[in-house]
Amino acid sequence: MSLNVQALRKQYRSRQVLDGIDFDVRLHDIHAIVGVSGSGKSTLLRIIAGLETCDAGDVVFNDRSLLDFPAHERRVTMLSQTALLFPHLTVGENVTLATRTRSRKQAEHWLNVVRLSDRYDAEVHELSGGEQQRVSLARALAAEPTLLLLDEPFTNLDPKLKLDLQHFIRELVKDLGLTALLVTHDREEAMLMADRVTLLEAGKVTMTGTAEELYEHAPGFGDFLMIDGDLLSSSRVTVTETVGEPVRLLKKIYRFGQCFGEYQFEGGRTVILPASESFEVGMTYQVKRKEEKHA
Amino acid sequence: MIRQILIICLMLIPFFSLFLRIPTVETESVTAMANTVGLTVILSGVNVWLSMTFAWWLLWTESRWRNALEWLVFLPLFIPMLATLFGLYLILAESGLIGTYVGVMISLLVVTLPYSIRLASNGMAVIGRPLLEQARLLPFKRRILFVLFPLFSRTMRTIALFTTVILLSQFALIQLIGAGLIPTVTTELYQSYAGNNRNLALSNTWMLILIPVLIYFLLSVMSRWTVRILKGRLQ
Repeated sequence: MSLNVQALRKQYRSRQVLDGIDFDVRLHDIHAIVGVSGSGKSTLLRIIAGLETCDAGDVVFNDRSLLDFPAHERRVTMLSQTALLFPHLTVGENVTLATRTRSRKQAEHWLNVVRLSDRYDAEVHELSGGEQQRVSLARALAAEPTLLLLDEPFTNLDPKLKLDLQHFIRELVKDLGLTALLVTHDREEAMLMADRVTLLEAGKVTMTGTAEELYEHAPGFGDFLMIDGDLLSSSRVTVTETVGEPVRLLKKIYRFGQCFGEYQFEGGRTVILPASESFEVGMTYQVKRKEEKHA
Repeated sequence: MIRQILIICLMLIPFFSLFLRIPTVETESVTAMANTVGLTVILSGVNVWLSMTFAWWLLWTESRWRNALEWLVFLPLFIPMLATLFGLYLILAESGLIGTYVGVMISLLVVTLPYSIRLASNGMAVIGRPLLEQARLLPFKRRILFVLFPLFSRTMRTIALFTTVILLSQFALIQLIGAGLIPTVTTELYQSYAGNNRNLALSNTWMLILIPVLIYFLLSVMSRWTVRILKGRLQ
């Protein structure tokens, strides 16, 4: 049982937005679609959600074509860049409306899960951006979806809140055994959150694999900082262009229990690197930029 | 400040003379009143239904004919009403609908619907497509009752008010299509002016003012009451 996107095509006037998209999302995985603006990733998500139609292809989930059902019958919920809560309803009413039986008890449960149990009667505009996004998450979960779509939900948050919420959502999705599809332009976000990643470029899939595989093999998917070439396990990676003076590693934070972790260096620099690398806190390293893979 | 006072004065000038006189109740025709209220209620309902559903379709359609159709719907806004009216007259005359309620209703609908659709489209644009997409993920009945109705109740009231005001401003249309057989408050008002009966004219003018005010007030109370009941069902 999984989500299969098969030969999906979409054209706006003369522009081919999706050009034969194929990929599979495994059950209970967080799968990231990474691409720059205009690569078609949001269109792809909207087609899966039933908010847009496609010209050709199919989206199959648990052996049934989602395209045969209208948006509200697909059991798919979506978390967007902005929280998109209904302004005429209170926080609790927003969540209650999404539950299958319009149950206040269930709404309270989901608000408790997102750590906002005391805000049931609050007006939406009284909440901060991060809180609104958590209510939006509670609403998405309250609908008991089989598929959770995340459309760059962290874009408008400040860096600290963003990391916290990324961690929180990943843990929650894993605990609840959900399948999630994350659309993002941020490669680090994909590496930190996703089990598998699909790279999208000009409406075409260029590569699909685990974050680790893409880190090693995908051209362009390493456009972030690495530390001293000697310490890297992969012989396929070329390290060029030294960035700044040697810096001391202050902290290793494996926030996501994943194959990647966050490394904090002196001077405030944060680098996302494979968690398997044996960098020692207190040692000094030369930060370099990864260039591209060798074939 | 002077500008604001000037605007307020300009808005109130037409009413000064009315406020200085005591209106008398001289409803010569109960039929005219019944016709006016009946046409207003039915026309407002049909306008709200057609305009909201059409604007909703316009918002989501991916049809290549969308722009052409949008233009076609708004075309009556750019054409003098008398021209539209005469075209309608010819068609309705051939269909045998001149002098009938159905004929008057169709012609009034043609005149009011473009404005209503424009209002509905603007209302949806204000709410914004992303928020309405979230509504689309909800089951149909919940979407209508708990989200779309409360969000658009103000737009719907405005459509009803506009429809009422436009209807009450139509003399030529109702006289021509109704062939003088469908009396309304408006047609009586014009006749009272022609007959130089100032008391009747004053009475009818007050009717013209009160009908939209009352309808808007009633709709406001009803929609607030309905929204409150609906919200109560989410507690």
